[in-house]
Amino acid sequence: MKKLLSVLSLMIVATMVLTACGGAVTPAATQPPAVETEAPVATEAPATEASVDANALPRNETLYFNGQQWGPVVGWNPYSNSNNNALAIAQQDSARVIMFETPYLYNMLDGKQYPLLADGDYAWDEGMTEVTFKIKAAAKWSDGTPVTAEDVAYTWATAVKYDTPLAAANKDYVDTIEAKDAQTVVVKAVLGDDGKAKNPLLVNAYLSTNYVIQKAWTQTLEARSADATALLADPAEDVVYSGPYGKFFADDSKVVYVRNDEYWGQDASMWGKLPAPKYLAHTIFKDNAAGSVALAQGEVDVSQQFNSNIQVLWLNYGLPVSTYLPEAPYGIGASLPTAFYNLKSYGLDNVAVRKAIAMAVDYPTIIANAMTNQSATFDQVPRSLMNPTAGEQALYDHDAVKDLQWAGNDVAGAIALLEEAGVTDTDGDGWRELDGQKLTYIATCPNGWSDWQAAIEIVAAAGKKIGIDITTNYPEWSVYQTVVTASDADLPEGYDILMMWSDGAGPTQPWGRIRKLMSSEFVGMASNWNGNWGQYSNPAADELINAIPTMTDESELKAAYTELVKIYLTDVPSFTLMYRPQAFHAVNESVWTNFPHDGDGTNPPVPPLDMTDGWSIAGLYNLTLVNP
Amino acid sequence: MKGYRKYFFNKLAWYLVTFVFAFILNFILPRLMPGDPVAAIVARFAQGMSNATGVQAIYQQYTELFGTNKPMLEQFFIYVKNVMRGDFGFSFSQYPRTVADVLKSSIWWTAALQFPAIIVGWIIGNTLGALAAYRKGGFDKVLMPVSIFVSSLPPFGMAVILLVIFGIGLKWFPTSGGYGFDLIPSFTWSFMWSVIVHYQLPFWSLVLIAVGGQAIGMRSMAIYELNADYVKYARFMGIKDRKIIGYVFRNAMLPQITGLALAIGTMVGGALVAEIIFSYPGLGSTIFTAVMGGDYPLISATTLIITVMVLAANFIIEILYGFIDPRIKAAQAD
Repeated sequence: MKKLLSVLSLMIVATMVLTACGGAVTPAATQPPAVETEAPVATEAPATEASVDANALPRNETLYFNGQQWGPVVGWNPYSNSNNNALAIAQQDSARVIMFETPYLYNMLDGKQYPLLADGDYAWDEGMTEVTFKIKAAAKWSDGTPVTAEDVAYTWATAVKYDTPLAAANKDYVDTIEAKDAQTVVVKAVLGDDGKAKNPLLVNAYLSTNYVIQKAWTQTLEARSADATALLADPAEDVVYSGPYGKFFADDSKVVYVRNDEYWGQDASMWGKLPAPKYLAHTIFKDNAAGSVALAQGEVDVSQQFNSNIQVLWLNYGLPVSTYLPEAPYGIGASLPTAFYNLKSYGLDNVAVRKAIAMAVDYPTIIANAMTNQSATFDQVPRSLMNPTAGEQALYDHDAVKDLQWAGNDVAGAIALLEEAGVTDTDGDGWRELDGQKLTYIATCPNGWSDWQAAIEIVAAAGKKIGIDITTNYPEWSVYQTVVTASDADLPEGYDILMMWSDGAGPTQPWGRIRKLMSSEFVGMASNWNGNWGQYSNPAADELINAIPTMTDESELKAAYTELVKIYLTDVPSFTLMYRPQAFHAVNESVWTNFPHDGDGTNPPVPPLDMTDGWSIAGLYNLTLVNP
Repeated sequence: MKGYRKYFFNKLAWYLVTFVFAFILNFILPRLMPGDPVAAIVARFAQGMSNATGVQAIYQQYTELFGTNKPMLEQFFIYVKNVMRGDFGFSFSQYPRTVADVLKSSIWWTAALQFPAIIVGWIIGNTLGALAAYRKGGFDKVLMPVSIFVSSLPPFGMAVILLVIFGIGLKWFPTSGGYGFDLIPSFTWSFMWSVIVHYQLPFWSLVLIAVGGQAIGMRSMAIYELNADYVKYARFMGIKDRKIIGYVFRNAMLPQITGLALAIGTMVGGALVAEIIFSYPGLGSTIFTAVMGGDYPLISATTLIITVMVLAANFIIEILYGFIDPRIKAAQAD
């Protein structure tokens, strides 16, 4: 009896365990094809089956993204910066232009600005005080009315009137924008002491960074908003746009944009056709791991997130996944994640100490571990202030700074440098002292930013190799950013070597990046989100940074940039740890193909920016289906 | 009945006092965290801004808007006044969405995932535990180690195991989302089916762990009760087994019910791990981001909901105890 009972109980447990899984398993297990047709989870569910259901997004009419939208979309208001509507609204160096459009599109590969809403190139007047450009006659809003110069002017006027982020960012350089006639826009620059534009670079950048918003809709918005705060908080579900896609659906799980088949850009004066996907959809993943799984499963076509060891997907699993470059570094590096020295920390005011630490760091390991080789090495692209793009690399004299560059892992060189500077271990404890005081530092970055943390650990290890005691500490981002951006006071204890970002590619680069790495204008700001977080100050560098925007002579420009690189590599106020792409760009070609790749023959070349940013949107017009 | 009324009002008074303190703590504690949430928001806005003073202007605009520049006491009274009207204000991290809107859009996912998981886990676990205690022998010998093994798996471990086996390996279930990545919510069969299929892995990752813990707890409680004097006495008296088990089950269940009440009370806190691993919609990760980003209004609102639910669940349980177990009422009423 007892035996029977135990057999029985075994069976009960087994059944329980099975029900635990089985309750769920049975339906799907018995009819996997049904799952595919009814809820097309499979990667290649044919459109004919999917289109039976009016509520589904047909797989071969939809392009899926990840890595751009984190968290639910909050609104559709192009005046505001707080919509968290990443695929639609991002006014940046390469502006995101699927829904709202800029007069020009920046192409990070050739550094040029190409007309979008604008008709032909813009032109500065003789006295360098204003820029003139025309609006394309074909350009239309989603409500069918034409885009006019008045819209451009009114967008700026509204920004200034309500002091929106756009105005705050540009009013030091852009004075007024006027409509000369229906098509002609005149942008008047803020003038410097010499009667010329104070910063023509930033005025040029304005034209490819900022959206044109419809005047009529803006007036509707103003009419229903009590004040500036209300205007910026308006979710703007009724917004009128000029771009190829508009809102289709948004909830906590995803956001979907649908093509406007009346889009003006199919006119011969622009693209001559509509973009290939009818829908752009972005599933909201909660972390990179979930996004990577979806990319591998073919539920994501274009991935703008860090996929660790991305090459494994095609090398080991044979998936049709690829990146812009077939080999490491897989993408085009654009920004320079950088470790800043707190120049007020004891001993870090000594240039030998700063340079020695930077020389001893094992950069190849940072690039291999933190970036899984998705960064060029410093042997491939020697350190300067430039990103690895050919355009920027050509802007300085490589030979002139050769002796100042270092590729890392140079422990012997670093030790020699310290010895020479008199930074030695005087009390025999294994750690070096400067004037009798032990050199001990804390290197830091935000907690949970795993690639940065890996890099900072290697910086700390470099210190140990040369007898400088560096430990690590990782505050939460909410704390870290508050401390680091308070440039009106000295950095507190615990922030001796800190990691932050730098600018990527854009129409003002590399000037903008250099300014943010070296200019002393940010020292003293209570909320400094620009750069120079170590609070470096060098009048010679400031002077060059101020002079470059108005320089037009190429050799003069090159000399200035070379001089800045020299100063940077000599003073070492901060040091680049790796190169990072402007945007990650990996594609799964299960459904769509003909994505931008290096050497794909496009002219002008389509940059690897997920086909949403700047000139990369041209890629959407080239896509074709694997199985039409 | 007089004793019972005294017991009732006594409890009620204590719960009100607890609520007031919890309410104050809900407000104060998040605001004592280091870091400046407004700076975090400004960080988002300031990307790509080339103008120095512009960022500063935005920062001031938002501290003004969120009232974080006011003294804490003043903020508290504004908060109390608004909460009285059911207004929890703007979420900092999802501005300009209101806290109410954020909660409304995800609370149903959380409730629909957590509530059934808690109940199913509790019922299966307790039944198994009681059976193990009563049957002993083989059933117990198999169930105990299995339960201990399952309940000691960390939640993320269970979720990842299920994900890898049933999602990636066998491909029986989707790996992420609350419904098909290629669907739009609607009242259609394909959508409903998709929701059901997507529900399974997060659901069972919660249930399996709950079952183990409940079974272990119930088993030891039941064994303890089975050896109690009243059971032996009842046996001597020749009372039927089934009747005795009824008594045992009722007595052994008391602490388990408290556990159930707590679990239900805290369920709006969300199944963070399941949500993150399966990218499942819900409040868990919303609260997590709110905490990391110092989104005071959202933290205060969710912790307030949790407080109210825990207090209410406990209160109801305590009142029910009075009926289930007269000893408690008697002891408390003295």
